[in-house]
Amino acid sequence: MDSGPNKETSVAVAESPAGPPVPPAGKVPAKAVAAKPPAVVVESTPEPPVNKMRRRIVWYSIAGFLTTCFLMFVRFFLPRAIFEPSSTFKIGFPGDYALGVDTKYQQMYRIWVDKTSDRLFVVYARCTHLGCTPDWKASENKFKCPCHGSGYDSEAINFEGPAPRPMDRAHVELDAEGQIVVDTSRLYKWPKGEKNEFNDPGAYIPI
Amino acid sequence: MDEAKDQKETKQLTGEKTEVGLVERAKETAGALKERAVEEAKTYKDPQQTQVWKSIFRVSHERSDPRNRSLAILSNVFLHLHPAKINRDAVRYQYTWGMGGITFYLFIVLTFTGVLLMFYYHPSKILAFRDILYLEHDVPFGKLLRNMHRWAAHLMVITTWLHMFRVVLTGSYKRPREFNWCVGVVLLVLTLLLSFTGYLLPDDQLGFWAVTVGTNMARATPLLGHEGPFGAQLGLTPYNDVRFGLLGGSIVDANALLRAYIWHCIGIPLVASIFMAVHFWRIRKDGGISGPAPVMLESEMKVPKKK
Amino acid sequence: MENPKAHSRRNKLIALIVAVVLIGLFAYSVQDWHQLWKIVSAPDNVPIVAMLFLVPFFTWLGIKQAIQNDHLIGDLETDPKLAKTHHRKVEPWRPGWAKELHVWPYLVRIEFLAAVIVTVILYVWSITLNAPLEEPSNPNLTMNPSKAPWYFLGLQEMLVYFDPWIAGVVMPSIIMIGLMVFPYVDSNPLGNGYYTIKQRRFAVGMFGWGFLMWISLIFIGTFIRGPGWIWFWPGQTWDHNTVVFDRNRDLNEIVAGWGLTFLNSQPWKAIFGAIVVGTFYIVGGLFFHWLMMRGPFRLRYLRSSSELRQWATTPGQFERKLLANTSLLQYLTFQFFAVSVLLAMPVKLFLRLVFTIKYVWVTPWFNI
Repeated sequence: MDSGPNKETSVAVAESPAGPPVPPAGKVPAKAVAAKPPAVVVESTPEPPVNKMRRRIVWYSIAGFLTTCFLMFVRFFLPRAIFEPSSTFKIGFPGDYALGVDTKYQQMYRIWVDKTSDRLFVVYARCTHLGCTPDWKASENKFKCPCHGSGYDSEAINFEGPAPRPMDRAHVELDAEGQIVVDTSRLYKWPKGEKNEFNDPGAYIPI
Repeated sequence: MDEAKDQKETKQLTGEKTEVGLVERAKETAGALKERAVEEAKTYKDPQQTQVWKSIFRVSHERSDPRNRSLAILSNVFLHLHPAKINRDAVRYQYTWGMGGITFYLFIVLTFTGVLLMFYYHPSKILAFRDILYLEHDVPFGKLLRNMHRWAAHLMVITTWLHMFRVVLTGSYKRPREFNWCVGVVLLVLTLLLSFTGYLLPDDQLGFWAVTVGTNMARATPLLGHEGPFGAQLGLTPYNDVRFGLLGGSIVDANALLRAYIWHCIGIPLVASIFMAVHFWRIRKDGGISGPAPVMLESEMKVPKKK
Repeated sequence: MENPKAHSRRNKLIALIVAVVLIGLFAYSVQDWHQLWKIVSAPDNVPIVAMLFLVPFFTWLGIKQAIQNDHLIGDLETDPKLAKTHHRKVEPWRPGWAKELHVWPYLVRIEFLAAVIVTVILYVWSITLNAPLEEPSNPNLTMNPSKAPWYFLGLQEMLVYFDPWIAGVVMPSIIMIGLMVFPYVDSNPLGNGYYTIKQRRFAVGMFGWGFLMWISLIFIGTFIRGPGWIWFWPGQTWDHNTVVFDRNRDLNEIVAGWGLTFLNSQPWKAIFGAIVVGTFYIVGGLFFHWLMMRGPFRLRYLRSSSELRQWATTPGQFERKLLANTSLLQYLTFQFFAVSVLLAMPVKLFLRLVFTIKYVWVTPWFNI
C-alpha cells in the first residue's frame, strides 16, 4: 500500500531544487529521488503478467459474491410457509341440495353448488373474462357478470359477453361419511375448442 | 472462363434472366453480406468501442493517465462525492481510520436490509412479534437478514463514536469545520434515535421495556412532562404531555409501535439523509479531509493585538 | 540514541508487569466465571465487549501518531532552520513528489477494501450470533434487570444519581449542546489536522475525560448492574433475591445532624442547596481554571517537591497565550459545560456510591 503513492510523481510540482533535499524525521525511503525534478512523467508502471490472474480472481470472486447475494435476494421473496385459508372444505350432503343453483356458500368459499338431474358439481365463482365474481340472477336463470356483462347459463356455460369459456368447476368428492368435500385449488376447465374436463371423474358427483 | 463471363455479361446486358445468373447473384450477395458480417463482428470484439458501451460510460476506462483518472471521479454520479485528488498521506487509514466512510456504508447496508425486512413485517401488536418469528424460520435467509440488520446497527453506533473520537484527536473540528462538527453531533443523535426506535419493533420484552423506561423519562421533562418540574402546574396530565405526543397514547401500545415504525423507517432516515448530504457537502467545501496537515508551531500562533 | 530506546523498553516491561498483575488480581476476585461469561456472551452485549478492545486500540493508534508528531514538533522548535525547510509532516515527502494523489485508484481501492472487510465481518457476525428475541411483550411483567440498549445504558446508569428529568432530559441535552459548542470554545489554533498531545493537552484531555466517563457508565450498566439495579462486582453471581438496605440521606439532613436542625425544613433546605450548588460551580470553575493553566507535567516532578510546587502554582507560558486568545464568552461557556457535565457527574457518582448521599439540593419543585 505504501509503495504506490510514494512512487507516484505527478506533473511537475514547481519546487525549485534549493539545495539537497532534507530527509524528514523518521523513515527514509530506500530510493531517494534526485535533486532535479524528473522530465518525463509516468504514473503507471508496466504490469507484470501475473497481476492479470490476481485481478481475474478478485473480479470473479466479487462477481460470485454479488451473484450469490442476488440469488439470496430473489429467494428471500418466496416464503416457505404462508397463512391463507384452506382451499379444501366440506359443504354438507348431496341430499341437502335442491335442483338448480345454490348460493349458500358464495360468501364463505366463493362457490355455487349446482345440481342437475344426473349430477352435482361445484362452480368456482370467478368470471373467466377478468376474474370478477358474477351474480346469480334466479329470475333470469343466468349468471351475469357486472364487470363487462359476460353471461352464463344455469350450468355456468358462457353464452354472451366477453367471457372466453365456461366458469371453472372445483374438484369434488365424497368423504367416508358421504359429505361433499370441495377443493378449489384443483379446477376443471373447458377452454373453447379444447378438451372438456367437466366430465372428468373429480369434476362432479353423479346422483 | 472468360467466355463464360462474356456469356453471362451478354445475357445480363440483354436482360435475360437465367437460373444460373440468379443463383450466382444470390451467391455474390451472400458472399458480400458474409464479408460485411465478418467486418462488423470484428468491431464487437472490443466491447468498449461499441455505441452501447460508450453511451453508458462516457469516459474511457483506460485509467492510467491523469486526465482519465480525474474524469473517473468527476464524471461519476456516485464517485464525485470525492474530489479528484486528495492529500497523499490521507489515503492510508492510519490518519482517518476510515470510520466516517464505514459509517456511511453501514447506513446503506441498514437501509437495504431494512427495506427487505419491511416486506415481512406488519407494525401491529398482533402480528409484529409473530412476524419476527416468521422471518427467522419461514423466510429463506430471513434469519441472516435480521441478524445483519441488528449487528450493522450496533456496529454503526460504534463506528460513529470512533469517527467522532478521531475527529477530536486530529482537531478536525477547528476552523473552518465547526459547523460540520455540529451537523455530525446531530447525526450521532439521529443514529441513536434510529437504533432506539428500531429496538421496539420486534415487540418483545427487551424492546418493550427498554422503550418504556426511555419514554418514561420523557414524562419527567421540565415544563413539558406531567411529572417533571412545573409540569403539573402548567396543567399537564398523562394524556397531553410530551410523552403522550411521542407515544400517541399514555401507554406503550399499538400507537407507539406504529409511530416507532414510521420514525424508524421513514421519518428519521429522511432527516438523517438530509443531514448527511449537508455533512458531505461541507466536507468538500471546507477543504476536504483535514490532514494530515503540516504541523504548526507555537511560535507561529497569532496573538491578538489587544494585549 | 541508546537511552530513549532502553527507557522505552523499560517502560514497556513495567506496563506489561502492571497489566499482568491487574489481570491476575481480577481473575482472583472472580467467584462466578459462569455468570461473567453469561453477561459477556449475551448477543446484545457483544458490541460493548468489542468496544472494550476497539477503543483502547484506536486510542493507542492515535497516541502513537501524536507522539510521532510531537517529536517532530520538538525538533522543529529547537531548529529554526529545519522549521523553514521541512515539509512539516511525519510522513515522508521529497521535492518533486506530488502533494496530492488521484482518488482513482488510490483512495477508491482502499475504500473498496474497507467495504469488503466490513461486509465480511458483518456476514460472519450475522451467521454465528443470533439477534436476541425474548418473550412477547407483556406490560404486566417486567424482566429483572430491565436494561436499555447498551448505548443508552449510560443514561440509565445516571438515573441512579439524578432524578429522571435531569438524567433523561437535562443531562443529555447539556451533553449534546456541550458537544456542539466544543469547537467554538476551543481557541487553540494548533493541531488543526494532525494528531498531537503536546499542543492540545487540555482539549484532548477534556474530551477524553468525557468519553471515558461515558464508556465507564456503559460498562457499569452492562457488567456491574444486576437484578434490581444492584451493584454486583464482575464475577459475583446475580442473585435475584439480594436485598440491599440503602441508607440514603440528603446532604441537608447530614449537615442538620451536626446541629443545624433548621436545615431540615423549607425554605432553609432550598437555600442551603442553592448555596451548595453555587459553591460547587465556583469551586469547580476555579479548579478548571487551574487545570487549564497548567504547563506540561513530567513524572520526574513527583520526585522533587519544589518542582512539583512550581508546576502547581505557576501557569504555563503557552497556556497563558491561549487564555489571552480566549474571549470571555468562550471561557464562561466552557466553564458552564465543564462543571455541569465533566465535574458534576463524577462528583455526584462519588457522593452517591461512597457517601450514600442522595440529594444535594431539595426544593418543593425539584431535587438535584
